[in-house]
Amino acid sequence: MARSSSMSAVAHFGVGRVARVRMAIVVVLLALWEAVAMSGWLFRDVVPRLEKIGRALVTLLAKPDLYANLGATASEVGVSIVIGGIAGVAVGLLLGGNRTLGKAFEPYLHYLGPTPKIIFFPIMIMWFGVGGGSKIAMGAISCFFPMAISTAVGMREIDAVLVRVGKSFRAGVGQMVTKIYLPAMRPAMLTGLRLGLGVAIIGVLLAETKLSNRGLGYMVIQSYTRFDIAEMYALLIVVFLLAIAANALVSRLGALRRGGA
Amino acid sequence: MTTRRDTGTTWGPIGLGLATLVGVFAAVEAMIRVGWINGFIVPLPSAVLLSFERIIVEEGVLRRFLFTAAEALAAGTLVAVCGTSLGVLLYRRQILRLACENWVAALAAAPLVLIYPLFLVIFGRNALTIVMIGFLSGLPPAILKTVEGLSSTRRVLIDVGRSFNLSPSQQFRKILFPAALPTIFVGLRLGLMFALINIVGVEFLINFGGLGQFVNELAERYDLPAMYAAIFFVILVSVGFFLLTERIERWLGRVR
Amino acid sequence: MPDMTPSAVLQVEGLVKRFSTGDETITALDHVSFEVAQGEVLSVIGPSGCGKSTVFNIIGGLTDADEGRVVVEGEAVSGPHPAIGMVFQEESTFPWRTVAENIAFPLEIAGKAKDERVARARQYLALVGLQGFDRHYPAELSGGMRQRVAIARTLASQPKILLMDEPFAALDEQTRFLLGDKVMQIQQKLAQTTLLVTHNIAEAVQLSDRVVVMTYRPGRVKRVVAIDLPRPRTSEVVGSVAFQAFVAEIWNDLREEASRGMLDAEAHSRRVAIGTPASLNE
Repeated sequence: MARSSSMSAVAHFGVGRVARVRMAIVVVLLALWEAVAMSGWLFRDVVPRLEKIGRALVTLLAKPDLYANLGATASEVGVSIVIGGIAGVAVGLLLGGNRTLGKAFEPYLHYLGPTPKIIFFPIMIMWFGVGGGSKIAMGAISCFFPMAISTAVGMREIDAVLVRVGKSFRAGVGQMVTKIYLPAMRPAMLTGLRLGLGVAIIGVLLAETKLSNRGLGYMVIQSYTRFDIAEMYALLIVVFLLAIAANALVSRLGALRRGGA
Repeated sequence: MTTRRDTGTTWGPIGLGLATLVGVFAAVEAMIRVGWINGFIVPLPSAVLLSFERIIVEEGVLRRFLFTAAEALAAGTLVAVCGTSLGVLLYRRQILRLACENWVAALAAAPLVLIYPLFLVIFGRNALTIVMIGFLSGLPPAILKTVEGLSSTRRVLIDVGRSFNLSPSQQFRKILFPAALPTIFVGLRLGLMFALINIVGVEFLINFGGLGQFVNELAERYDLPAMYAAIFFVILVSVGFFLLTERIERWLGRVR
Repeated sequence: MPDMTPSAVLQVEGLVKRFSTGDETITALDHVSFEVAQGEVLSVIGPSGCGKSTVFNIIGGLTDADEGRVVVEGEAVSGPHPAIGMVFQEESTFPWRTVAENIAFPLEIAGKAKDERVARARQYLALVGLQGFDRHYPAELSGGMRQRVAIARTLASQPKILLMDEPFAALDEQTRFLLGDKVMQIQQKLAQTTLLVTHNIAEAVQLSDRVVVMTYRPGRVKRVVAIDLPRPRTSEVVGSVAFQAFVAEIWNDLREEASRGMLDAEAHSRRVAIGTPASLNE
């Protein structure tokens, strides 16, 4: 609904005009940046000139180091999503399907959800060591909550009439699950996955900044200690673009087989 | 064939939840004493319970809580002011909204908090860094929800205003904004929540500030029972926050 | 219990259904009995709160009666019976499946082979007049079209008895009339035994061979009216004096039931109660 009205609005303004406004905004921001960098108003090097950032970016992308660390972070995020995701969906199904269990335990999910998970990191280190294990654990406990909550909510909000249709055609339990429950829950679970991916990435990166010897977060802290601010900017640009791309990928995946939300 | 007796049955599940919690703690206590769980990695729940008094009296956890709360208040105020203003701006200028809304949504999903080392350089290792990170994290949802609230005002309400010949600013003040307020509040709540999460997180990471710093300090001191107690305290704060904002939202909903 | 005629394909015998809410026990159905003959269209009509949706759910096997039974082709019903196909009042198409996939759903459940599923889906798609829409999603169709998909889906399972609960309630008057017409054409073509639950008198008279009029709670059969109007029920027939006479006759029976229902609903809203009259019709 919002999409169609914004599409007609874009049509009203013209796709070209929107793109030009975007470019204008980007140009203005970059110009402001350059102005601040040149004026030396902030401590030097803190706002480096665009050219310096550009060179740092190119140098960074050429380093094999970057890709090794990127692989480490990506694998940690990947494993944590699998673990946290499966646990989250399982718990969500349980709490969404059973009203008593849901009323008993779902509040705890809501209470623990908005807690900064990074404070659990020392516990994760004690349990899983200083290596990748503690980072994976951080990512897993981060993405567990949005996945569990959205699965439970998704289950509860399944249109009751659809369940009755299935029963009226005498579908078996397995058929009810695969042909009715899961497809009906798909939009909610994809939202949970998107959110879970976002917080898993944050959890893993922050853990890497605190205590690690590899990964993108580790690289950011390294550039901080070495006071190589230009490289830090370059790293942040890379990380942000990757995170946004990953998020967009999951959204695309959701819109892929149309129909539903 | 379900009988409906909603009153009275809500206490059952709540009791079940609490009983399970107590049961888990009791089981952990037993397993540590027996030696099945390493007591150096997981402290005795009873020891954690005892350290509550210690962290309140000796370590000044309440003072630290107030410090964090002050940071949250500062960040929250900034989020409220800038978030709603920018949201209104985007709503008013269609072209800006079309250009920027997706970017703001993308930022909401990005790991903004990772900027903290940069802010350490720019602002120093102090409360300003923490407040700025909180502010940045809370901004996107506040902006997005403000735009959403304003643009989803029911058409008929706008037509009522037009039928009374209201000026654009009257229309905004008397109809659009009040109608959008519940959604705006949702955005502010989300923004404050993200801000609070990241504030405590950054306090932990840079070892400065209130509750987050406290947890980090206790971890480095290897004072496990107190650390668990402090973590539990942080959870209590987030629970309190959640319940309070839920109450306010429900009140706003009724007024609507 | 009256003698059951041999051509009756569905027999409802002495249904009793009670609901308890806290301290009250409401009798929704009080010994409801009727039968449906092969190829007949029977409407069950009554005011809101008379328990007609409960009848629908019991015959469909989604709820159990406290007393009495439903007999289909000599078998007592317990649970959804394969010979009975249900069409629900609310939006019931699966939003994540195309129109063709929706219609093929019962065949998938029954384990039919893909070729047969595709062929039959296409057949029933055409029957309800939606050729060419097989790859559309329900969200792309109008309410009336979606309801046609739901009907086609149920018909695809080739039930002996078609059970419909106010299938046109969510549609506007004109769509309802046209769709009712279309459904009757299909019914005549297939000689489909149909049981229709409705609150719309004109609809009941337009579509049925007989109309069972129910009382307000506790629901009982007040009267059975035989509609002997010619088929097909064209606009001429619908506009005729005879048609209006049937409508007036049924309204006469219903009026006092409906006003009892309304007074009861008002009293209920004033009392602090758990559950509403509507929800007790489950």
